[in-house]
Amino acid sequence: MSLRDLLPESHAAAGYAFAYMDEASKREVRRALVKAVCIPGHQIPFASREMPVARGWGSGGLQVTLSTLVPEDTVKVIDQGADDSMNAIAIRELVRATTQVKVTTDAREATLIQTRHRIPEDDLHEGQVLVFQVPIADPLRIVDARPSVTRRLHADRDYAPVWLYLYEDLAQVGHSSFTHSHPVEVEGGYVMSPTPIPRHDVERLDGAPFLSLFGAGREATVYAVPPYTRVRPLAFSDRPFERERMPSPCAMCGATDTYLVEDDEFEGGRWICSDTDHCRRSREEAR
Amino acid sequence: MTAPVLEVDGLTVRYGPGCTECDPRTSESSRCTSCGTVWACRDVSFEVGPGEVLGIVGESGSGKSTVLACANLDIAPLSGRVRIDGADVTHVRGSERRRLRAERLGIVYQTPAQGLDLELTVGGNIASRMLAAGVREYAALRERAGDLVKETELPEDRLDAVTESFSGGMQQRVHVAKALATRPPIVMLDEPTSGLDVSVQARLLDLLRRIQRETELAMVLVSHDLGVIRMLADRLLVMRHGRIVERGLTDQLLNDPHHPYTQLLVSSQLA
Repeated sequence: MSLRDLLPESHAAAGYAFAYMDEASKREVRRALVKAVCIPGHQIPFASREMPVARGWGSGGLQVTLSTLVPEDTVKVIDQGADDSMNAIAIRELVRATTQVKVTTDAREATLIQTRHRIPEDDLHEGQVLVFQVPIADPLRIVDARPSVTRRLHADRDYAPVWLYLYEDLAQVGHSSFTHSHPVEVEGGYVMSPTPIPRHDVERLDGAPFLSLFGAGREATVYAVPPYTRVRPLAFSDRPFERERMPSPCAMCGATDTYLVEDDEFEGGRWICSDTDHCRRSREEAR
Repeated sequence: MTAPVLEVDGLTVRYGPGCTECDPRTSESSRCTSCGTVWACRDVSFEVGPGEVLGIVGESGSGKSTVLACANLDIAPLSGRVRIDGADVTHVRGSERRRLRAERLGIVYQTPAQGLDLELTVGGNIASRMLAAGVREYAALRERAGDLVKETELPEDRLDAVTESFSGGMQQRVHVAKALATRPPIVMLDEPTSGLDVSVQARLLDLLRRIQRETELAMVLVSHDLGVIRMLADRLLVMRHGRIVERGLTDQLLNDPHHPYTQLLVSSQLA
């Protein structure tokens, strides 16, 4: 008897159970996620499994996605804002092949968006779920590498060391050195790392209508920001948090309010939208 | 008399399990011969009023540092009470202790590395205490750090230099500046000058004395250097084997020591 014989007919084609992971493992992840949603910004350990992607390549986000997907979902996967990067394609294909859910590149249509580095430029709406791939879950890692120490600091809400880090940045460099993952305070309580999203996106988590789930596979940790939660980047009262300044409008769609990345394949270099699908739609609408 | 800033009442600290043979009240030695438990402090009580400097002297192992550790809320005593501004804080832990330490207590250790993060800038070390006390205004941190650098006679243009790049004597000044950052009513000094060479010691002592007088700061000064004690302390406790064996006004006590140990201490001092 082969694995195919044991599986329900609908999944036999892929050779795996619905959404690749076995039910008990998915339940374990969901259980951790429920806890995470109940305590916004608090890091919850979970039994991280081996995934068919290497740890550090989105295994945490993938486990969260696979554990929460239902057959009615429509999935979008991006890496650095792009739907067509290798990592995004591989993850999207795995999800599609093991669930047969619909996939899309349009952020407005997706019910679940797995992302690394970006929040799509579109205004997302209630009912959507953003799943973030997290490389380093603990915002206190920068001040102490020992989890035993950082857990105590979190428990005491002792975030003076992070503030000190911000102070040292200002004193020595003149500005914050966080180009991504600028630490945020969630609902006036825990300090959380909004995994490597640029400063442009950090404030978009504040009061957002969508649910944000963060999965760190290597660190075996999940955390969450429920919809309509207060999310404030840490910043001194007289040195407000600032977004990146873009050097020019997008060279392709002309947008001035989006996050741009350098296109080094273009001769001489140029700056274009990091959110490729949003950029494409803007250009099509303009035509 | 005004209310004391710090009150220590009947402090007893034990390192070890203790046994029925232990007799901390009467035994001469602080170490139990039967179980090896060390009674590091035995029924120690004192008060420090606003602007008062209390010296504690005693040989190594007499319990000075243990008393200080209790007063700094690092360790909880087996019995006895620590009160700050009249409030019992003996067993305060976690965020409450952090806040209390940041706002009400300063401490200067023998070596700067114990109390500073040498990889941070001078300003960062000073700011860390204010941040712990909840200050979230960058300009306020800069201003206070700048003032303290001036106050402690550090080079003002090196506010943003990494502390590691300073000499030992200068690092100890940074340590003092850090302790003073939040204007605590009391600062504890654990052999603050012992790690420094004599000329640097003298300058730091001058500094401490000046700051103490100008700001009416209360201090608990632990030292085995009677010169330092004579210069700074108003009142003096002499500890031995975990007990206070003699107490009084510094000048009186050092000129007319009663307890044999104090007599030995005074007569051992190099002229």
